[in-house]
Amino acid sequence: MGSADRLEALARRAREAEARLDAVLKAAVDAIVMIDERGHVLLFGAAAERMFGWEAREVLGKNVSILMPEPFRSEHDGYLDHYLETGSPRIIGIGRQVVALRRDGTEFPVELSVGEIASFGEGRRFVGLVRDVTAKVRAETEAREHRERLAHVTRVSTLGEMAAGIAHEVNQPLTAIASYAQALARQMRAESGGDDTRRETVERIAEQALRAGEILRRLRGFSRRGEAKHVPCDVATVVQDALRLAEVDARRHGARIELRVEKRLPRVVGDTIQLQQVLLNLVRNALEAMDGIPPGDRCVLVAAARDGDRVVVSVMDRGAGVGERAEAQLFHPFFTTKPDGMGMGLSISHSIVMAHEGTLTYERNPEGGAIFRFTLPVETTRGKK
Amino acid sequence: MSGAAADPVVFVVDDDEAVRAAVAMLLRSVSLPVETFASAREFLEAWTPERAGCLVLDLRMPGLSGLELQERLAAQGNPLPIIFLTGHGDVPDAVAAMRAGAVDFLGKPFRDQDLLDRVQEALELDRARRAEIGLREELRRRLERLTPRESEVLDRVVEGQPNKQIALELGVSERTVEIHRARAMTKMEAASLAELVRLVLAARA
Repeated sequence: MGSADRLEALARRAREAEARLDAVLKAAVDAIVMIDERGHVLLFGAAAERMFGWEAREVLGKNVSILMPEPFRSEHDGYLDHYLETGSPRIIGIGRQVVALRRDGTEFPVELSVGEIASFGEGRRFVGLVRDVTAKVRAETEAREHRERLAHVTRVSTLGEMAAGIAHEVNQPLTAIASYAQALARQMRAESGGDDTRRETVERIAEQALRAGEILRRLRGFSRRGEAKHVPCDVATVVQDALRLAEVDARRHGARIELRVEKRLPRVVGDTIQLQQVLLNLVRNALEAMDGIPPGDRCVLVAAARDGDRVVVSVMDRGAGVGERAEAQLFHPFFTTKPDGMGMGLSISHSIVMAHEGTLTYERNPEGGAIFRFTLPVETTRGKK
Repeated sequence: MSGAAADPVVFVVDDDEAVRAAVAMLLRSVSLPVETFASAREFLEAWTPERAGCLVLDLRMPGLSGLELQERLAAQGNPLPIIFLTGHGDVPDAVAAMRAGAVDFLGKPFRDQDLLDRVQEALELDRARRAEIGLREELRRRLERLTPRESEVLDRVVEGQPNKQIALELGVSERTVEIHRARAMTKMEAASLAELVRLVLAARA
């Protein structure tokens, strides 16, 4: 082959490479930007034009720092120098999430990865791949806010439920004290010539017991005044949102969650956060209950279906189930079968479902394990009231 | 139902032993007979409908709840008057209890006089109901003493038909109608036509 032919072949290969590069630049979803070692833009892909709002010809030759907000804009040249001097990269080969700047001055989160191109004597070249992660970041933020809201509601309702539980427990002996004292005072009044001081003392005991009862009543009224927002809501969405959070727990327990939601479920009226709290609580209980069985069998079935004027949501597991003696006390505050449990979860869930004019019940799973079911009235039946 | 049952009793049902004993002591301090039960089921096993009195019932109990006991008694046609005792915050349950005919519900702890007043009210209500039931049974017994012909005449008298029309319908003389009617009045122990009509309507209530 003659040298002219070789040249021709090289030229053809160069044209081909350029065409390939051009196609890649046009097709890429991520923005591609190439700079020289002084930070001047050498290449600005079609996706970069769309993402930043600049046209390639406006950017070429300019310092790439115009694509960054302060303080990165002023510091970028320094980063380059630092790398060129020390060879220790801040970003090259690592990739990280940074903030980028559009032509119109708006900032947006991007994932940036930078690679260095082997030098051909014209100095070093760097290629940056920029991915707009606005949607991803927003979804993460929403998920985090959702978890925080749920955690907050859980804390508040745990406190409320504890207060209510204590109020109920203390109220019983208080009732006995008040009744005994009042009965005794009555007997003393009936006895002729009874000692007035003693009788008055007994009457005071009764008064104080009644006063304590009044304090508990106020405390309980206060703790129950939650900020529930009852709005029409779609059960399928509530279930899916709750299960998205439960997925993490499921993985930790080596279990899977199976979902069966009937199509075209009617809407219910309720507080979506509270309802998710109920469902999440039931699913977590179910997951914990299956720790002792072979991993392959660890499956929680969550089903939602219509039953007349109610929507029934059931959570079934194949775990240890609930002991016969525990059954009667399942929904009582402070009752727990877990070594580190507080006995609040089911009690709160029960209170929440009751506040939604629904029911929460337990039954034994005939195939082993537990079934918890809660019902909610569909929107229309409530509207009639 | 025999009217000659024992004295009315206040039946106290509460799962908390101390509350049960204290409430019983309070009621006994005013000389009311009291029987206590630790659960709704225990009460259902011991109690029979001819036993007069009233129920002092805890709303929330494990097993059969107070509301469920109320429901069950009503379904059996035993309207024993009920005073519910509730812990705090059982408002929806209390509303349901009142709707289903409870005499009242008292929040725990309660003033002795409030409970005693309600208990007196409930006992009075039970007495009146049993008296009404007794009267109705007595009137039915009187109705059963009538001959078929006297019954036919009585039915028409109660409907407000004049003797003449009754005679015509039954194909007898007016005089005969008058005799049957007089006998019916005697057997029903009615002093006037107005009382006769009232007694027959009461028997059929």
